[in-house]
Amino acid sequence: MIDFLKRIFLVDILKGMALTFRYTYRKVYTEQYPLEKPKLAERYRGAPRLNNDPVTGETLCIACDLCAEICPEDLIVVGSQRDPESRKKVLTHYTFDTSRCLFCGLCQEVCPTNAIELTQDFELAAYDRRSMVWDRKRLEKGWDRIDFGKDYHK
Amino acid sequence: MKAMEESTVLDAKVLELNMGPQHPSTHGVLRVKLKLDGERVVDAECIIGYLHRGVEKISENRSYIECVPYYDRTDYIAAVSNVYGFLLGVEAMMQIEVPKRAQYIRIMMTEFSRIASHLLWLATHAIDIGAMTVFLYCFREREEILKLFEALFGARLTTHAFRVGGLWKDLPPGFVEAARKFIDEFPERVDEYEQLLTKNRIWMARTQGIGVISGKEAIEWGLTGPVLRGSGVRHDVRKDRPYGGYEEFDFDVPVGENGDTYDRYLVRLEEMHQSRRIIQQVLDRLPDGPVRGKAPKIVKPPVGEYYSGIDGPRGELGYYIVSDGSAHPFRVRIRPPTFISLQVLRRLVKGHLMADVIAIIGTLDIVLGEVDR
Amino acid sequence: MNENVFIENLLIYAVIPLIKIVVIVLVLSGAIAYLTLLERKLIAHIQVRLGPMRVGWHGLLQPIADGLKFLLKEDIVPAKADALIFTIAPAISLIPAFLVFAVVPFGPPDMLQDFLGWTLGWFPFLNLDEATTERIAQNAIASGGYVTDINIAVLFVLSVSSVGILGIILGGWASNSKYPLLGALRSTAQMVSYEVALGFAIIGVLLVAGSLSLVEIVQNQQQEQLWYIFVQPLAFVLFFICGLAETNRLPFDLPEAETELVGGFHTEYSGFRFSLFFLAEYANMIAVSAIGVVLFWGGWLRPFPSFEWLNFLNFIPGVVWFLGKVFLFLYVFIWVRGTLPRFRFDQLMQYGWKIFLPVAMANVIVTAGVILAFL
Repeated sequence: MIDFLKRIFLVDILKGMALTFRYTYRKVYTEQYPLEKPKLAERYRGAPRLNNDPVTGETLCIACDLCAEICPEDLIVVGSQRDPESRKKVLTHYTFDTSRCLFCGLCQEVCPTNAIELTQDFELAAYDRRSMVWDRKRLEKGWDRIDFGKDYHK
Repeated sequence: MKAMEESTVLDAKVLELNMGPQHPSTHGVLRVKLKLDGERVVDAECIIGYLHRGVEKISENRSYIECVPYYDRTDYIAAVSNVYGFLLGVEAMMQIEVPKRAQYIRIMMTEFSRIASHLLWLATHAIDIGAMTVFLYCFREREEILKLFEALFGARLTTHAFRVGGLWKDLPPGFVEAARKFIDEFPERVDEYEQLLTKNRIWMARTQGIGVISGKEAIEWGLTGPVLRGSGVRHDVRKDRPYGGYEEFDFDVPVGENGDTYDRYLVRLEEMHQSRRIIQQVLDRLPDGPVRGKAPKIVKPPVGEYYSGIDGPRGELGYYIVSDGSAHPFRVRIRPPTFISLQVLRRLVKGHLMADVIAIIGTLDIVLGEVDR
Repeated sequence: MNENVFIENLLIYAVIPLIKIVVIVLVLSGAIAYLTLLERKLIAHIQVRLGPMRVGWHGLLQPIADGLKFLLKEDIVPAKADALIFTIAPAISLIPAFLVFAVVPFGPPDMLQDFLGWTLGWFPFLNLDEATTERIAQNAIASGGYVTDINIAVLFVLSVSSVGILGIILGGWASNSKYPLLGALRSTAQMVSYEVALGFAIIGVLLVAGSLSLVEIVQNQQQEQLWYIFVQPLAFVLFFICGLAETNRLPFDLPEAETELVGGFHTEYSGFRFSLFFLAEYANMIAVSAIGVVLFWGGWLRPFPSFEWLNFLNFIPGVVWFLGKVFLFLYVFIWVRGTLPRFRFDQLMQYGWKIFLPVAMANVIVTAGVILAFL
């Protein structure tokens, strides 16, 4: 009987309506993305960066080629030359194809010197494919986001 | 074909309707060729392969460590459990001991991923049937889980969650508190979805008696997971063949009665509660210790074959690994649960209306990345 | 003298109504545009998000941006479509939606009395003497808060609004595509069946009011000091539900059901033509709300006209009450959309024919019986 009355007076539907009404005047959950940047976790795997020694400014990369070995997509190319005097391997060039990257983080995991690192930058869009292949200069600089100015997104 | 045309009520031709691959509710790129008599479905044919990337073949050319990230991308909704299934197989072949703490965290994260996956399923299922607010509410909770993933794994969707022998890194500071906060609030949130859907007469009318499949038939079709449990068969790999330490946790396997869309909905809702229970237990009993066991730098399982099946959010997710002793798998065959449950679509939609096709596609909880691999 | 009478008649019967029509059409177009914004905002807030925020303060200019976008988009007629019908279908759907407002009383018959008496003095070239001005201002046709008051207004509304369905059917059919066709078929069946129940729900009110004129219906509510929703609550519920169905709103938005039929009847439409369908849908929403307010919520009357201690509310003009009530109606329309799932086609028909129609008929019979027995 009560069930029947509940059906007639649309109790099930009104309950749902009450819930949505309560929500109408609650605080919103979403972020206004381009205006407010999300806070990413420290471990976030985003744009790659080739770290330099903060003291000497020289590259940390020892050209061991492990990152290129482990990369599932083989998108890292490490170029090295053996220094004729010290018999040490010296990094000549380093390219990283972000357009094919899985962001799996294996390269930074195997790196013995923490030279290659995936940073928290995530806005990797570019106007053409060629500029998605990052060379050593760009990797060392880190991802320089094009700054459209404060008013751009308004 | 002739017989089909004669079966329409009016003396008219059947209408052949292409649903997908760009249809809003085929959950990706599924294409269903429907034969309609008015709005009634006479026949349906699934055409898949639009998202085929050859993950199995790719695995043959990658080392065991390298091919793990690709499995993130098969079932991208529940990437954590995919990786888990494969790694369990590799670790069993190589007899690598995974530390207790890593095991517990793995279980916790897999259950989180189950909740996230079910939330996404509920969201899309509800919006397919027209309740668009549930969609956003579910995404809000899923977002919280994704934030946890981001904090622990470093990525939100394609997480590359686990490594051979354990985890990449231990839990970040503040993780346990955030997880606790989430699971404390979670039941309330599920109640909200229930308030909007479970007793709603329109929801009931749209889901009850739709896509009914009996337990016996479901077994014959090889269905697993919530689709099977909705038909009343109490089958759960976590209980039947416990793996990775699941035997230490206490949880129930919910089953439905009628095997219709509504029961599968209830089963999945209850599964979220059960996953929450497991997470609660993990957080209470989380042991200290290392999170990565002794695994060799180069993973070379001995010659042999191994099948490891886990209970993913969509059903039994199996990895059949054949090793020839080298660093590359000789063959990896993935048993994708939704590839198998998609086969039953044709059987389920026959005789139903066009709107039910949407509900049934939703209730099977397919992920095309996994179907096509 | 003759000239004066001519000018007087010209003003009463042509100029002033035309001005009213222009005002109503313009205000209505603006209202529709901002109704879309209201809907987006409201649904967004229901779903704990913000909705449009970029164009103007809190997206206030969004409707204008949308309108411009529609205008600037390429106007595509599919190659295999029936070009003529495809082109005129949106207009067929839009015009009736606007026509309904010809008979909707926004305010009492003397709403513009003071205003007219005041403004007519601005036009010295009309050479109006005081008496003529008075006569014009007194004339209900000129000073009423409506374009026209015809004695079959309810029938007019029902018949005009059913013409609008033709636009949807023709649009769906002329697209020569399968999803629009299915949408058109659905809308045919849905609107036809719900119109019947809607009509019966209205008959309950008509019996109580004893008139088909919308103005008189409100005036009767004024005399009886009672809104008809308290006399005919069941009829109101039925009217509201059928109104949702008539305007293709959730949970009855099957003709466009985007998750099933992609876009329903307007799948193939784009640009300006699509926006006409869009306008028609929202104009229909406003029309149904306006009719509902007139029939059940006492039109321009303030709440509880029988309570004298609420008399201070009379200071607010009737048209404001009317618009406020319409706004409430629309709010509920949107709110329902944010909450409920969608019916299936056969269930919709079942509800329409097996529940709503019998209940509406029973309501008519009971009402008629009560009126015969006691009044």
